[in-house]
Amino acid sequence: MSAQQRVPLWAAEPDLDDEINDVDIPLTIPSYPAADIYDDPANLPLDESAMQAQIAQQTAFSQIPDVVKRFIVHFHQAVLDNNLPEITLAYESGWNRLTEKFYAKTEWPEAEIIAPLVNDDQIFLVLYRELYYRHVYSRLQPNIDDRFHSYENSCELFNYLLNSEGPVPLSLPAQWLWDIIDEFIYQFQSFALFRSRPATKTDDELTMLASEGGAQAWSSYSVLNVLYSLIQKSHVNEWLKARAEGKTDEEIEHIAGEYGTRPLYRQLGYFSLIGLLRVHVLLGDFTLALKIMEQVGLGLGVGQKAPFTAPTAAHVSTAYHAGVCYLMLRRVTDAARVFTGCLNWVMRARQYHMRSYQYDQINKTADRMYALLALCNTLAPTRLDDNVMNIVRERYGDQLTRMGRGEEGLSTFEEIFLYACPKFITANGPPYNDRTTLALLLNPPTPSSPSSPSAQNNTTSDPTHRHMRALTAHFLSLTPVPVLRSLLKLYTSLDSRKLAGFLDAGVDEEEVLSWMMVMKNAGRSIGRVNIATGADKDEEKGTNGSSSSNGGGSVLDGEWMSISDLNFVIDENMIHIAESTVGRRYAGWFIRNSEYAARVLDGLRASPLPGLLVPTKAQNKEGEVKGDRNIKGDGAPRSSGQKVAWGGIKTS
Amino acid sequence: MASATAEWLAPSTRTELIEKLVSGVDRYNPSNVGILEDYLYHQTRSGEYDCLANLAILKLYQFNPDLYNPDVVVNILLKALTAEPFPDFNLCISLLDDRLPNANTDEPDPLPTLLPVLTNLYDLLHRCRFPAFWTFYKSEELESLRENYTVECTGFEDTIREVAACSVKATFTRIGLDRLGSYVDLAGPELEAWTTRQGWTIDGQVVSIPPNPDNQIESVIIRENVKLPQLSKVIAHSVQAK
Repeated sequence: MSAQQRVPLWAAEPDLDDEINDVDIPLTIPSYPAADIYDDPANLPLDESAMQAQIAQQTAFSQIPDVVKRFIVHFHQAVLDNNLPEITLAYESGWNRLTEKFYAKTEWPEAEIIAPLVNDDQIFLVLYRELYYRHVYSRLQPNIDDRFHSYENSCELFNYLLNSEGPVPLSLPAQWLWDIIDEFIYQFQSFALFRSRPATKTDDELTMLASEGGAQAWSSYSVLNVLYSLIQKSHVNEWLKARAEGKTDEEIEHIAGEYGTRPLYRQLGYFSLIGLLRVHVLLGDFTLALKIMEQVGLGLGVGQKAPFTAPTAAHVSTAYHAGVCYLMLRRVTDAARVFTGCLNWVMRARQYHMRSYQYDQINKTADRMYALLALCNTLAPTRLDDNVMNIVRERYGDQLTRMGRGEEGLSTFEEIFLYACPKFITANGPPYNDRTTLALLLNPPTPSSPSSPSAQNNTTSDPTHRHMRALTAHFLSLTPVPVLRSLLKLYTSLDSRKLAGFLDAGVDEEEVLSWMMVMKNAGRSIGRVNIATGADKDEEKGTNGSSSSNGGGSVLDGEWMSISDLNFVIDENMIHIAESTVGRRYAGWFIRNSEYAARVLDGLRASPLPGLLVPTKAQNKEGEVKGDRNIKGDGAPRSSGQKVAWGGIKTS
Repeated sequence: MASATAEWLAPSTRTELIEKLVSGVDRYNPSNVGILEDYLYHQTRSGEYDCLANLAILKLYQFNPDLYNPDVVVNILLKALTAEPFPDFNLCISLLDDRLPNANTDEPDPLPTLLPVLTNLYDLLHRCRFPAFWTFYKSEELESLRENYTVECTGFEDTIREVAACSVKATFTRIGLDRLGSYVDLAGPELEAWTTRQGWTIDGQVVSIPPNPDNQIESVIIRENVKLPQLSKVIAHSVQAK
């Protein structure tokens, strides 16, 4: 086919508004293998409807813009050739451009319609449908058929990947593989939320959800099954462990096995781990979620290298969900560190992912992390990275003040949590196959009926509120702390009865003492130690013995640490107070700027001599300040006129 | 040195079979629920505690509502109460998906009525209101909880006392005997015996608590520490720049 050798025009030229009759692809009338069936007049009356469908399909086909057809043909060829650069181009650029142009508000052509363009290549059609449904979910409103069909298509895709004979000969860019896993979980989440609202369903939808297929579709077990299968098939955990242990390449290859040595499976396995983290978070299992990350680690901000260039979105998703886990485990400092590390990284890498089609998504998640950081800061005020904290204060200044005022900040705390938390789901939907119970659920019995009112309360609470209550209870327990803190700061020792007198009327000494214990407990927290040497620690653990490796995943490991700068102890009734201060930190600033100056110097050296452009005046001026030092060695007058910082390095 | 979370992640009393279930994919197999439930009852009898194994039970209940056994859930929550200051109680609650109003069974589900009570108890503990905890716990309202559940849970009250002791020893260097008594619901010789078991000394009406990392305070000024690797780039460059 001539069209297949073309350059990717859709990517190069935006002005391809070809007329439909310009089509020169010899494919407009597809030759169906079974087309001769219509040559037999005996079949005709029977298959009238089928024929009509055929005609409708051909009409639909002819309505596809020419440039889209060419795109699909080219895309298909790139996938057939396992040509990663071309696939990436088509996937990241072509698809999105054409979406903007032709399908901003409608679906892409259905897979059956474009099938003739790709020789009915079932594998490609499955991949095409993956994109098709993702587009429906992100741009349009998926109806219940879309939801079921996208599930079927995902099953087909994973079935092909996992249950073919041996590894499949397919190569896809990491970005796409990440998106496949990410979207799979998103659709699972979306379906669970859709399913959880029986009151808004039409009769048709109720029937479909009540059917056996309806109970099976997007079940938690099936989703977990896919993710765990990908992890096991690819030996990704074993592979990561072997790498951390510093095994040789051959050993690692041997460990990774037939599947794990292929980038497709290795990356799918790796992304499945991150996906599993997310699924467990959505289902409220925060411990298990972090346990999954034992071998992967949390990467960011720890100086630990990801084993390959994972898409930015993967990093951001990891940090966001791991941070949520730490927050729910009340390991607030760890949560704050994970968020800060990631946000810092996003800030610095902004220029690289700004043009990525996932830029919006990344930004949304980052915004949520800033909000969650505001909560962390309320629960356990600690020193964090200034750059990140400044943004938090900029955005949530008022809210931070309100949350610092104790109980009246509760609504603010809840508001921020509801905005920033993931959309939690329940593992099972309402009993659509049991009409009576469902009716009971929709119209709860009046309190006079035998079912107690508390049961009714239960049904109206969704998982998000359940998790929120756990965290707000902690927030409420801490409400006396800010006041106590500000009072204690004024003293080095203070009688607890006197302290009670300072507080609102009605607060007796015993109550104050319980607050003091709360404050003491809030001043320490379990946290990961030696976070900077996380990678080394993993290594150590690996060599210590594989048998005990399940014992303490470095991600869940932790030590008690003091997180409050205000410490106190009570001797019977006398409170003794000690405050710690943190000296200003200069080193980081100087190191960063020294390195920057060094880069500038290198840059200047690499640039050609500007000839006689350097005014001698400037040189003299510098000479006065720095003496003759900065002309030493390379004796480059070009640099002396511009920066003096590098001269400073040499003197020090 | 074992980390602070080591015992929580993998108690030394956990058997290999349980370890396999907790850490492997077999944890999703509904037919293993019996093994984990037996292990829970073993915990309640022996005073051992294994949070992750209990969470695995709740996970199975979450996915398979048919397996749900309210007595097991109550026992898990009671065990989790005693784990404060670890957040186990909340972790368990997070896995309790809403139950459907169930009219079919003859026995009413005790959980809907017990859950607010347990949450309340937990809240009192978390807020270090130990005297209030004991008052509520011993109240008539909670008689059925005590008679049906905590009585089966060996050493329940003692583990709650440990929770109180943990907060006390972090906060106090010395504490009045009566006050301590109200925190742990003991008096007289019992209190004295308990205090001695903690390794604390009684001097008249005052209990002295030996120094530990939390009840020793000092003002420190934290200075920054520059490590060599941080400077590696700068040094490397200064060598190249020659």
